[in-house]
Amino acid sequence: MKQAFRWWQGLLVAFSLLLVMRVFLPLPFVNEVLLFSIYTIGCNFLLGRVGFISFGQPAYLAVGAYATAFYLYYFGTNPLIGIGWGLVAGVAIALLVGPLFVRLRSDYFALVNLALTVIIFFLMQKVLVEYTKGDNGLWILTRMASTPGIDISSANGFFVFAFIVAFLVWAFYKYLDDSVFGACCMATKMNEVKLKFLGYDDFKIRLLAFVIANTTTALAGSMYAIHVGIVSPEIASPARAADPVVVTILGGVGTLYGPIVGSIAYTGMKDVISKFIGNWELVIGFLLVFIMLAGERGIWGTLEPRLEKLLRRGRNNGEREQPAKVSP
Amino acid sequence: MNAEAAALSVTNLTVTYGESKVLFDINLQVQPREVVACVGRNGAGKTTLLKSIAGFVKPAAGSIAASGENLVGRASYDIARMGIKYVPQDKKVFSDLTVRENLELGSYATNDYNWDKVTAYFPKLKTLMDRKAGYLSGGERQMLMIGRAILGGPKVLLIDEPTEGLAPSIVEHLKEVFRELAHNTSLVIVEQNLPLVCAIANRVYAINEGRAVAELVDRDAIKPENCEKYL
Repeated sequence: MKQAFRWWQGLLVAFSLLLVMRVFLPLPFVNEVLLFSIYTIGCNFLLGRVGFISFGQPAYLAVGAYATAFYLYYFGTNPLIGIGWGLVAGVAIALLVGPLFVRLRSDYFALVNLALTVIIFFLMQKVLVEYTKGDNGLWILTRMASTPGIDISSANGFFVFAFIVAFLVWAFYKYLDDSVFGACCMATKMNEVKLKFLGYDDFKIRLLAFVIANTTTALAGSMYAIHVGIVSPEIASPARAADPVVVTILGGVGTLYGPIVGSIAYTGMKDVISKFIGNWELVIGFLLVFIMLAGERGIWGTLEPRLEKLLRRGRNNGEREQPAKVSP
Repeated sequence: MNAEAAALSVTNLTVTYGESKVLFDINLQVQPREVVACVGRNGAGKTTLLKSIAGFVKPAAGSIAASGENLVGRASYDIARMGIKYVPQDKKVFSDLTVRENLELGSYATNDYNWDKVTAYFPKLKTLMDRKAGYLSGGERQMLMIGRAILGGPKVLLIDEPTEGLAPSIVEHLKEVFRELAHNTSLVIVEQNLPLVCAIANRVYAINEGRAVAELVDRDAIKPENCEKYL
């Protein structure tokens, strides 16, 4: 029981803080943080656990978003079914390109994913213009029916939905981190050949990690489509290909809560700095240089061990203050 | 000798790296529960021989079979699943994972979660379970690597230079462990420590410049001075 509580306590604290944020900060900001966090956790998993840096996350985001938008524009009105199609499309694209991509080393993996982003961008902007409506995008805001229970087509309803989805996603990734599969992923990152000595097919491990990570990204794309109500090729813009990598590094590569912290920092800085400076990316650029020089651990990667040390010291002091038991 | 019944049988194995031949027509037999040692100078081809058996180097010619099943052409992870486990020389464990996680990887692959046998051989590992493997000493890493490899009850353990760089007390401990392991498993040990080899091996192959130049099978003949003659 105590162990089960320990497992959940970090998640509960993190998401309680997000709820507190909702009280003090504007709803669009909190929704954007939630979406960006889900968008980034796949990238964080690939980079932190498997050792793959991906500049192709906008491609998977766009696939999820367009699958949802196509459904809502052409076929139905239920946004939940639209999200279901986004997930299916995420699995499909990952299974289609994954067997080719995961054979590559990390640097080529980054570039081939960037190439995929460029392909998806031009497919949506030019080739499939008849269906995607090109730069005008697919407007789905008014085509969504309200869903029973939580109406995710409303801003408040979307926050509740995104909050629940984000919590489930984090619980899933925490489970993955603690599982043997998580250890296998770490092992492929450290030495894939050694993993073969133990009888593991490292290709299958990398492929499964790739599918999981990019399906999560597609889920973020689907939710983004529902939230914004329009999907245009801009979502797959190669110019934004580095965003999830930046947020991952900012938050702390391979840390569970890094994507949330990174998303808060990135979205916050974007919102605040862009009010004063037009080129807010410049500040992010300098900050990244500073983080790299300071030890590559990112914000949460630096804070986490200190917090753990503090908590451990507090726990030890508490135990020491208890009077010693004297047996009769 | 019956090749079908052998735990491991290598016949006329030839291995090349690009244009250069590194192993020439090697023949090697390992019977069940036998300790076989391969001795030779650096660069003689001993590690290449183990890597070829484990599926990491593709032979140019010859055959390798375990309990009658052909190993050539199989993926290395497939060979490991068949119970032919390779313990490499470099003592590189998964350094960011704890000892427990390292063992879990071995257990999950083999569905053998009986760690008692591992800690029976290496009691020290019990106290190191939560330590990151990167912080272990060379001897502790070797214990972890062998401990991980024996999960699942392998048929053949291929162990490359297990005592290199280790303290004499740990070498003595490993010697006893190898003797114990040989009650259930065949061992192929590549080693330059001739006194150790001669103390535990039932059969010794001397390898020189990629050729098996001698095979010592008589316990009385397996002595350091006899092995040295061929190196």
